[in-house]
Amino acid sequence: MSAAETVHTIIDDLGALLLFTMILIVIASQISRAIYAVAAQSLFIAIAGGVLAMFTGNVDLWVIAGVTLAVKAIMLPWVLHWVVRRMNVRREVEPVIPDAATIVLAVAVVVMSFDLSTSLGTVRQAITGNALPVGIALTVLGVLVMATRKTALTQMVGLFASENGIFFTAMAVTQGMPLIIEIGVSLDVILAALVMTILVLRVRSTVDADIADLDRLRG
Amino acid sequence: MTGGRPLGLVLLEMTLLVLLGPLVTGTIQKLKARLQCRQGAGVLQPYRDLAKLLRKSTVQADTASGFFRSIPVLVLAATIAAGALVPVVRAGPPAFPLGDALMLLGLLALARFLAAVGALDAGGAFGGMGASREMTVAPLVEPVLMMVVFSTAAAAGTTELGTLAAHRGTSWILAWRAADLLGFAAMLVLLPAETGRIPVDNPDTHLELTMLHEGMLLEHSGPGLGCMVLASHTRQIVTLGFVAALFFPVGLADGASAIGLLLGAGAFAAKVLALATYLGLVESSYGKLRFFRLPQYLAIGFVCALAALALRIL
Repeated sequence: MSAAETVHTIIDDLGALLLFTMILIVIASQISRAIYAVAAQSLFIAIAGGVLAMFTGNVDLWVIAGVTLAVKAIMLPWVLHWVVRRMNVRREVEPVIPDAATIVLAVAVVVMSFDLSTSLGTVRQAITGNALPVGIALTVLGVLVMATRKTALTQMVGLFASENGIFFTAMAVTQGMPLIIEIGVSLDVILAALVMTILVLRVRSTVDADIADLDRLRG
Repeated sequence: MTGGRPLGLVLLEMTLLVLLGPLVTGTIQKLKARLQCRQGAGVLQPYRDLAKLLRKSTVQADTASGFFRSIPVLVLAATIAAGALVPVVRAGPPAFPLGDALMLLGLLALARFLAAVGALDAGGAFGGMGASREMTVAPLVEPVLMMVVFSTAAAAGTTELGTLAAHRGTSWILAWRAADLLGFAAMLVLLPAETGRIPVDNPDTHLELTMLHEGMLLEHSGPGLGCMVLASHTRQIVTLGFVAALFFPVGLADGASAIGLLLGAGAFAAKVLALATYLGLVESSYGKLRFFRLPQYLAIGFVCALAALALRIL
């Protein structure tokens, strides 16, 4: 097996693991499990970055993999766990539509993203393995989680999962974006996490309600 | 692959599965006991239980029809027949037409159906309850198992387990593609359901309303109950062997040499032990799920299996 094929296989396998963690996030009934799943997902993405870095010899990718590991696989889950402890909630998931409907939608998303990328044909040839459909599925499923959950924390998890999808696609498609962009994206994520954390805690402490209750604007 | 598995070998493998079935259950129970800081019964306890049951006489409900008496034998027969389809020590197709993975699942489903019919026939409330629950779970598990089979069969072009195992070959971990990972994940989710363990069923009790399989056994007694219990031991090891043949057929002998066969038997024991350890760990670390939460749990397996199929086909 040539080196390129090996990398394809490894990225494919990691893509499967990413899909698996994403399915766990979609189905999780406890917020802490969803957080563990998103941490595992980020870990796999960091590994994928490392593998691509080893293959392409691109030093930037090593840095990106390291930053992903530190920020997304360790720091963000820690922050989320801290908020969960602070707010003293355990089953903070509260779906808007029934779980079964979410699962059906998730299935449709997975199948459609694979179907969509087969129709891309030649474009897909240039991309490492199944990274494109997996990336699309991850992104859309993240949005699905955000759209079908009432509580802010779960929506944050969905956002991070979605961001992971975009990151994975970008990494696999371009074999490493410029370092400055990647760092900018990571900083964005950290800032978003901080802002959302503060917002969630503030809303909870001042009006004792969650984001879903804030549906009317008062002058 | 030269030749297939001769009839003698298939029969030998089948007998081996039936004989070793209770040992697997005993091992899981011992493991659970140790994890709970108990000494636990010896690993041979299921054999003693079976021997005791076979010595006892039968008591039967007045309302039960004559068919009820033959149910345990039929269930055991269907399960053992399913065992004949699992390649234990040697890969490759059988030398004579036997059946494939779908046949295996079909036979297990038949055993399940017969057990449910028996439970309903006896007319007890608990039996009906158990049968109803078992029949609710079965349609959620079986199609997904078939999808997992299809996702591996799509690569090999056959659903015959021996040929599948031979196709995957011995370099299994390198030959694992993305679809296999997802299929295996689906399998790990479904394994407790198919073997009747926590978080889907609780094999230790038939006194609470958590029961599925045990509820159906309540009306049986004596040798009949012994057959039913042996059938569930066999069902468990057959399912484990099925997973082993689908996903890691490493160590299966190619030829008919004695050393190869011994090696295959050793590898099979190791694989079943690993899967049994998994089951024991899951059973010790999770609680029984509420019945109406089960579809959601099993849906994880469904989505994984579907994604595996999508990866394989699209």
